Amino acid sequence: MGEHLTFIGSVTAQLVRAVPVTLLILAVSGVCATVLATGLTAMSVARSPLPRLIQRTWTFLFRGTPLILQIFMIYYGFAMVPWIRHGLLWAAFRDPVFCTCLAMTCCCSAYIAEIFRGALAAVPRGEIEAGRACGMTGFLLLRRVIAPSLIRIALPSYSNEIIMMTKSTSLASTITVLDITGVAQQVIAHSYRTLDVFCAAAALYLLINATLSTLLTALERRLDVDRAPTPLAPIPPTLEPLS
Amino acid sequence: MTVPPPVLTATNIRKSFGDREVLAGISLEAREGEVISILGGSGSGKSTFLRCLNLLEVPDEGQIAIGDVQAPLTRNRHGRLEVSDGRAAARLRTQTAMVFQGFNLWPHLTVLQNVMEAPLRVHRRDRDEVLATARSLLERVGMAGFHAAYPKRLSGGQQQRVAIARALATNPKLVLFDEPTSALDPERVREVLALMRSLAEEGRTMIVVTHEMAFARDVSSRVVHLMNGRVESSGPPAHMFGPDASPAFRAFLSPAAL
Repeated sequence: MGEHLTFIGSVTAQLVRAVPVTLLILAVSGVCATVLATGLTAMSVARSPLPRLIQRTWTFLFRGTPLILQIFMIYYGFAMVPWIRHGLLWAAFRDPVFCTCLAMTCCCSAYIAEIFRGALAAVPRGEIEAGRACGMTGFLLLRRVIAPSLIRIALPSYSNEIIMMTKSTSLASTITVLDITGVAQQVIAHSYRTLDVFCAAAALYLLINATLSTLLTALERRLDVDRAPTPLAPIPPTLEPLS
Repeated sequence: MTVPPPVLTATNIRKSFGDREVLAGISLEAREGEVISILGGSGSGKSTFLRCLNLLEVPDEGQIAIGDVQAPLTRNRHGRLEVSDGRAAARLRTQTAMVFQGFNLWPHLTVLQNVMEAPLRVHRRDRDEVLATARSLLERVGMAGFHAAYPKRLSGGQQQRVAIARALATNPKLVLFDEPTSALDPERVREVLALMRSLAEEGRTMIVVTHEMAFARDVSSRVVHLMNGRVESSGPPAHMFGPDASPAFRAFLSPAAL
């Protein structure tokens, strides 16, 4: 029993050292995918048909194929392309962490764009018309009227997508990245204690996701101003908070 | 007596949705201080017409001017009118304000922020000045105690009164009301109508699409009856609600007159 605990302790210590790799992949691809998804959402409501077609095609391709294939194609496949292999880009494409981030950015941006697109369609028309009626246009309308509603509508599904992404980072281990899962497999390879090691790894993923979901739920609550459980009584005018 | 200058001139406005012609050529002029009530059965095109006036809806034909500024409508290559200059259209809208049937307050902003938004962000007026105006407007509409409240926590009547304060915050030349009391229960209708009446009395130029016959008769300076996308008849309320009104308008009124 004592030996068992010592083993789990030392394995956990090893796995914890791999947490930054997992978080790095999550952070880079999370941020890039969100930015890209914002662009894709804008394209999906463009007036000319070409951007709309690009967005639809992007979603079709990256949502319709397994992420692991996309990772393999970028990491193993692109190495076969002479101008990548011998070009300046090789410094990036030989790096498995870069390839994982790239694949996850492309794949998850397709999902996030669909979330944003749905949320955009769900922003009440009347709120937008009220903005237009008083002379708002373009960026001002987007920033002051559309985005606040859109973000509140999108956040629950977006949080879900981020949780999915956390778990997807483990696919990096299939192309030699030593993230939590990668290190776990390495430890198993010479200790053969599969269940202990995977349980410790799972516990770390749970911890990361619990933290993320707490943060995102807190953000959701914070943005949900008008449903906050505050007393309905008239609030004295002296208390008004000015943005 | 000098005739006040026109605030709004709409000429021959036409609009179809698909095959259905909703507006079949409507002209309307609103002079400063006029309160025009637009009446008509459902589907007569009154809301669509009102929404054409601030270009929320782009008419297929016709011209609109606010003061002496023409709306930037030009014909595209298919021969249809379109807004040729979005910024100019937006500038034109800053001269007007709209009060909606569904209030359409911004839910993520407090009552005070809702009222301050347009003068602050669109007109870029001085913050202290905007705050002072917003405070006095909210006082005026009887919502002084609700500055920090969010719209969803208010009753329909309260929301509509805030929406009216929001519409007045930029001191518009023309206020458009799109069935402002249709979503309210009778108790709330009274408080909103009383407020609109006081606006009319202070000389605001207003165009009101409404089903409130008493308001049209007692408050407006002119009543316009729309039928099948045309002005069926129009005139001062004394005429329109008198014995010489057109038969069609009298028929429209009869169920309400009971």
